[in-house]
Amino acid sequence: MNGAPFALSGAVHLVRPTHRVAHDLAELRAALVDAPIESLFYHAVDVVLRSASATELPPDDFSAWAHGVLQDGTAAERLSFAVQGADGGPVELRERLLGALADVRSTRRAPEGAAFVFLTSESVPIATGRVAEDGDSLLRHLAEADPSVWYYHLVEQRWFAAGDAPLLEWLRARGEARLAEWLLEAARSGKPIARVRRQVLARWRRSRLGPRLAAAAFEPEAERREAAHQAVAGLVRRLQRGETAS
Amino acid sequence: MSRVEVRRDGPSLVDGYRAVVGDGPMQMLETLAARLRGHRLVMVNSTATGGGVAEILHRLVRLLQELGVPTSWEVMPGDARFHGITKTLHNTLHGAPGTLSADDVEWYHETNRRAAAALELDGDLVFIHDPQPAALVLHRRQPGQHWLWRCHIDLSHADPQAWALLEPVVGRYDAAVFSHVAFVPPLPVPAYLAPPSIDPLAEKNRELDEREEDELLAPLELPTRRPWITQVSRYDRLKDPLGVIEAFRLVRGREDAHLVLAGGGADDDPEGAAVLAEVRERAAAVGGVSVLLLPSDAHLTINALQRRSAIVVQKSLREGFALTVSEALWKRRAVVASAVGGIPLQILHERTGMLVHSIEGCAYQITRLLRAPDLRRRLGAAGREHVRGNFLHPREARDYLAVFARLVEAAAGALR
Repeated sequence: MNGAPFALSGAVHLVRPTHRVAHDLAELRAALVDAPIESLFYHAVDVVLRSASATELPPDDFSAWAHGVLQDGTAAERLSFAVQGADGGPVELRERLLGALADVRSTRRAPEGAAFVFLTSESVPIATGRVAEDGDSLLRHLAEADPSVWYYHLVEQRWFAAGDAPLLEWLRARGEARLAEWLLEAARSGKPIARVRRQVLARWRRSRLGPRLAAAAFEPEAERREAAHQAVAGLVRRLQRGETAS
Repeated sequence: MSRVEVRRDGPSLVDGYRAVVGDGPMQMLETLAARLRGHRLVMVNSTATGGGVAEILHRLVRLLQELGVPTSWEVMPGDARFHGITKTLHNTLHGAPGTLSADDVEWYHETNRRAAAALELDGDLVFIHDPQPAALVLHRRQPGQHWLWRCHIDLSHADPQAWALLEPVVGRYDAAVFSHVAFVPPLPVPAYLAPPSIDPLAEKNRELDEREEDELLAPLELPTRRPWITQVSRYDRLKDPLGVIEAFRLVRGREDAHLVLAGGGADDDPEGAAVLAEVRERAAAVGGVSVLLLPSDAHLTINALQRRSAIVVQKSLREGFALTVSEALWKRRAVVASAVGGIPLQILHERTGMLVHSIEGCAYQITRLLRAPDLRRRLGAAGREHVRGNFLHPREARDYLAVFARLVEAAAGALR
């Protein structure tokens, strides 16, 4: 296992109706008691994938409904807080959501056509054909792959296992505990995938600078000069791309 | 011959979409397509031209072929009587008044029976679109085939009699796909949700340069000094064009702007013609409003209109999915739209646009956005990324392939 490469997968989440609806907070709470965990996942967690490229994550579906439809600010805040702090999987999330709605007084009903409709999702994992040999190649793949690859390994698998993810275990077994911690931290950060992906990559590149410089010190002068030229050219290209994008 | 030949000339769709959505999502699509290697897909609908379903099938069939999934498209044959019956069926499924006689129901089934004999349906994955060919499943289902029904219409207000005709038919499929959760009736088979999508490479959505926009818009003779607020939709009461004019009247007391209402021909629709007449009368009374009647193929003009607008409005009272919202978001426009139908999936309030519930709310948000160009830019940029990730054709193709992969693998698992 330690020496084996890690095959990366993404996932398509097929959304399905459950035919269960809530018209007010009491009905929402009653439905949350036995809602399938895939349904909790879809409404509370999947927003991370749906808004992978956003600059900031929108609220989860429960609090968005309480805020936007019922216009109950207190309930919306409590639900948001419950979801934000729930990183321990389905059991913890359900408890936190039920706790947030435990003493609701509001009897405000959703207008016609605006009830909360419980959906669920079926995850269809897709092997991407990308294989990570080590931390470097893992990050190279994560940078280029579909956002669902990041999501599947660092959010979805961890959430359903209510613990560690196989990818993080693999990294630790290969002696990349620090990278595993960074990825875990990023996955828990509540930031959109595109943003945390950039941050982790930048952090990783910075961390590799020292070892690369140390290794380069033993290279012949001509090769070091060429590497320096390449580095400056790369920096100029990045700056130019940044100017174009802005 | 009922088989539709899809154009294969021009640049590759896979390359075109890759340039738009990136390598990662296209690799996922390619991997899913590879998973269906050895299978053959047949699409069936009732027309090869006109309408949104034919439009997407022309793209989807070619995309799947390029991805290596052998895919063909057949159009169900039917006479004028059949098309009249299915038009009534379509309308009543939408909730409009109308009745089907026992003879009509019999002719619907008879036409499907005859079509089942005429069509090739030579695939193990059969993908039927909308109610017209739905009953083919009763007559041509073979062992080992997987049948999927795609309902593109809004069944949320379906007439029970009309649905009673379809319900037992749909129950014979392996699964059904709907655009929005509100459209899903109780079914004995798995239902999946796949929102519709727009084509970023189509004339309606492709990038235009400033000169092209000028040329396309010049014949419309719209004032250029004031910012445009635009609603693109047919002249239908459910699109609330009079409500838009009223919201604009409220805005004009505070900010200078010009309202553009652009819609398709209403000649063959008596109700549409009446609405258009009312809209023109009201627009003349308020002033500062251009009411445009555009031909159905004016895609580039609509594209240019949306791109030049400061704000795009979709103030519908009821909606199916309202892809005009995604079209505007894709063009980085600030959008103000009603929180109905599929619009809240596209507009995340205050993030990708503004959701409103009233004429006053609409006027308030339009005024606010006219005064805040930075906010308009921020919403437009976020809206484009939201559409890129969720409402472009490659995502819809991916969902369909994933459903078929699910059906095929579930059946294989059941056999083991």
